[in-house]
Amino acid sequence: MDLFPFLVTQCANAFSQAALLFFLGVGLTLIFGIMRIVNFAHGSFYMLGAFIGYTVAHVTGSFWLGLLLSPVLAGLIGTSFEMGLLRRLYRRDTSAFLMVTFGLTLVMGEAIRLLWGVQGLQLPLPSMLAGIVFLFDEPFPVYRLFLIAAGAVLAVAIWQFLERTRLGLLIRATSQNAEMVHALGVDVNLVRSGIFGMGCGLAAFGGVLAAPLVTASLGMAANAIVDSFVIVIIGGMGSFPGSLCAAVLVAFVQVFGTYYFPDFAIAAMYLLMLLVLAIRPGGLLGQEA
Amino acid sequence: MAKGSDVSRRRLIQSTAAVAVVSTLPQYARAAGSIKIGMPLPLTGPVAGVGAQMRRACEFWAKQVNAKGGLLGRPVEFIISDTEGNPATAVRKAQEMVERNGVRILTGIAVSSEALATVPRLAEWDTIFVSGDNGDGRLTAEALVPNFFRPNVSGPMGTRAVALHLRDSPMKKLFGLGMDYAWGHNSMEVFEAECKRAGKNFAGAVFSPTGTKDFSTYITRIRQSGAEGVYLVLSGDDNAAFLSQAKQYRLGEKVQLLTELIDQMTINGTGDATVGLIGGSRYPYTLDNPVNKAFVAAWQAEYRTPPDMFEGDQYQSCVVLQAGIEKAGSIEAAKLRAALEGLEVDSIKGRVVMRACDHQGEQQGFVIKIVKREGMAHPVPEVIATYPADRVTPPCNKMVYDN
Amino acid sequence: MGGWRLFFLAAILLAAAPLGLPVFAMTLLTEALILGLLAMSLDLMVGYTRLISFGHAAAYGLGAYACGYLALHTSLPLPVALLAAALLAGVVAVGVAWVCTLVTGVSFSMLTLAFAQLLYALAFKWTSVTGASDGLAGIPRRAGPFGLTVLETRNGYYYLVLACMLGAFALCRLLVNAPFGAVLRGIRENEAKTLALGYNTRLYKISIVAVAFALGGLAGALYAPFAGFANTDLLFWLFSGKVLIMVIVGGQGTLIGPVLGAAFFMLAEHVLSAYTDSWALFLGLIFIGFVIFAPEGIWGLLNARMLKRARA
Repeated sequence: MDLFPFLVTQCANAFSQAALLFFLGVGLTLIFGIMRIVNFAHGSFYMLGAFIGYTVAHVTGSFWLGLLLSPVLAGLIGTSFEMGLLRRLYRRDTSAFLMVTFGLTLVMGEAIRLLWGVQGLQLPLPSMLAGIVFLFDEPFPVYRLFLIAAGAVLAVAIWQFLERTRLGLLIRATSQNAEMVHALGVDVNLVRSGIFGMGCGLAAFGGVLAAPLVTASLGMAANAIVDSFVIVIIGGMGSFPGSLCAAVLVAFVQVFGTYYFPDFAIAAMYLLMLLVLAIRPGGLLGQEA
Repeated sequence: MAKGSDVSRRRLIQSTAAVAVVSTLPQYARAAGSIKIGMPLPLTGPVAGVGAQMRRACEFWAKQVNAKGGLLGRPVEFIISDTEGNPATAVRKAQEMVERNGVRILTGIAVSSEALATVPRLAEWDTIFVSGDNGDGRLTAEALVPNFFRPNVSGPMGTRAVALHLRDSPMKKLFGLGMDYAWGHNSMEVFEAECKRAGKNFAGAVFSPTGTKDFSTYITRIRQSGAEGVYLVLSGDDNAAFLSQAKQYRLGEKVQLLTELIDQMTINGTGDATVGLIGGSRYPYTLDNPVNKAFVAAWQAEYRTPPDMFEGDQYQSCVVLQAGIEKAGSIEAAKLRAALEGLEVDSIKGRVVMRACDHQGEQQGFVIKIVKREGMAHPVPEVIATYPADRVTPPCNKMVYDN
Repeated sequence: MGGWRLFFLAAILLAAAPLGLPVFAMTLLTEALILGLLAMSLDLMVGYTRLISFGHAAAYGLGAYACGYLALHTSLPLPVALLAAALLAGVVAVGVAWVCTLVTGVSFSMLTLAFAQLLYALAFKWTSVTGASDGLAGIPRRAGPFGLTVLETRNGYYYLVLACMLGAFALCRLLVNAPFGAVLRGIRENEAKTLALGYNTRLYKISIVAVAFALGGLAGALYAPFAGFANTDLLFWLFSGKVLIMVIVGGQGTLIGPVLGAAFFMLAEHVLSAYTDSWALFLGLIFIGFVIFAPEGIWGLLNARMLKRARA
């Protein structure tokens, strides 16, 4: 392969991977930004999304319905968890959140195993997305282009949501000064519940989109947790543009790093995190130091 | 006041300790005089699918045996425990079975790292371990202990079968992709040696860390190597992810995918991505011999699906164990060990000989091709080559071949 | 407080255990004490200094590999190997802590995770020393100095573990009750103020991480000959997470709490998994229950009961 086609293909690979990482990380960024919660269960919602997507797609025969319904359902489950349990813990410290979300991870993991079994499940793609295009004579899956497009659309949508809508304004305000927002008469609890639900829904969205690539399986959650935390930390906690940058950076490092230095594949992400935190302790675009 | 709180504290601690102790007291067999076989298995965690297969195989075998009056006139009972795929837990569970349940025979222990951690303790426990699926070559080489027996196919044997098939193929240049841990490297070494022996060009290999989700870089590497065939040493989620993605990149159209092992669970979970794959199979249910046909028929009557790869291998191990116990007339380790060495069994895979020098079961090797068949919901493994035991089984205590 | 009295009571009870408990219970108890030591060492960081580490498995794994390697390749007596492993862990910790304490909060936690994962990657790749993904197997229990072969027996080894545990507990107790401990608590409550008072908080943090790693390394070093192997799972972040939960469920900042938490976690997992395949579900519910109904953990529960009884 010549250099230019090679670079183009690899960049395309990297962007598609960045899209998946972005879906995973953006939900956690929002949750962390507003609520300062270390949500250990984020990976489990990602996994849940993949399995719900599988069932919906199988029952209705439509991948798109699965893509639409899965985040909604996961978001509802997340919101009810927040309202039922997490809400009581806001005066407590990090340890309480760690333990309750760890417990939730165990519960969800086992529930999924009971409901769907131990085998990996395949999420079939609609024929429109199952084809290939040729980048300089090299086949490239249409689905990955779809992922890149979906990532871009989601990034713009969230950006506009945060900048232009009233709810987005409330979210940004709550993350900066929750007391003040409360004093202004807004039900901060509702904002928090909504954000948590949205974060879980975004994770689930990521799960459905990842499923055709990796099959829906019980091991998804554990992998996803570390990835999502790394994205949040590198980007800067609570920074939405940061999570986008981090996703792209990590994806490129992984794709090119794995190609040129396959022996360091395991360690690449962590070395990157070390480097970023050494230079900018608050993450790329974070505020805290 | 101080005294009162001391006493009540002491009482609380004592009662908690009592509860803890009771849960560890020796348990006596529910059925008096039953033969207890311990099975530490991964029932949860990433390899839970394999654990479920092995459990089903043993339950099926126990049912058959007990229906005919049991072994040595005693019913067979399995003691099953979840190891989560974690070696520390596996050793703890195995030790509990030995110390608390009085178990003297172990099987199961699906993951090779669990097996490697357990095997050095067998002498101390005076317990025989009959492997159901452990493929790590070292278990019959450097890590061999007298109480370990392997009736199933090992990693090197699976690789050897595929490599023998390659000798007749026109493909000249080959590449490799393996999981970056012991099994992946071990099998790839064997493959590389076999390629050289067959006069093929081994263009190199690349290894992916366990848990890799995105194989795009590796697919690029495979393509760039210009190889006509790529040998895959992948399992579990990584295997499923790679196959799905390879299909999406239409890799199979340019490069023949070869694999060390592929089971029905993975075939079912990846849809059509496995069609055209050529690989080793430790047990393809489509084998055409009377013993296997009877087994498959009985299995389908019970479970409504054909037996999967690990189910067949575990079943064979149970059958070998049965033959050993019947020959020894006892389950004591010393007698059982002597009986198993040199034992010959006509099993679902043909004749298996448990050779004495390294306790490996000598048996045929199979190469399969995944094809679509009319009327079957999922693709099917079709046997395209069979190699006799003496060509597939490595020399004693070794993981590499001489010819 | 009745602290030392309770300590001696527990010591006597535990020393008498081999006389009354069945064989497998002793195996569980030995492992529980080893995990208890590990959890207690983490408590020094989490409970007393609010340094939440997601990478404490690194200490355990380092200790286990070091001791295992020494046992397999040298003829050093066991206690020397234990000491060497603990020292190694402590020394490595200084370097790790130096980098990690550059940041605070979740960033600190993530850096500890990063280091643990890097160590995991190293162990995975350094085949000649660590045996890569299969680890070191067949680690023997070596005799002590002066031919003390009693350490090779099951009960002898139990007493070794017990001695290390009790010794470490006494050491930690002295540490947290000393002025050093007061500074740690100051860092926990309000680092800025402690800094303003003139203390070099970073130095204190690095020191306590080193002590925590040394004791955690000792726990790992005790584990390797006990189980007979050391492998990469001991370094993986999932194990770090479990140890952290042990500390929290036991009651952080109390030293004894995490020991109980470790025993509880191990026992709960073991007993539940014998009764149901869905043990993870119940374990998760138990932890959630603790957060809501017993925020001070197991030790907090026990203490509250005692207080109630004392008042009644």
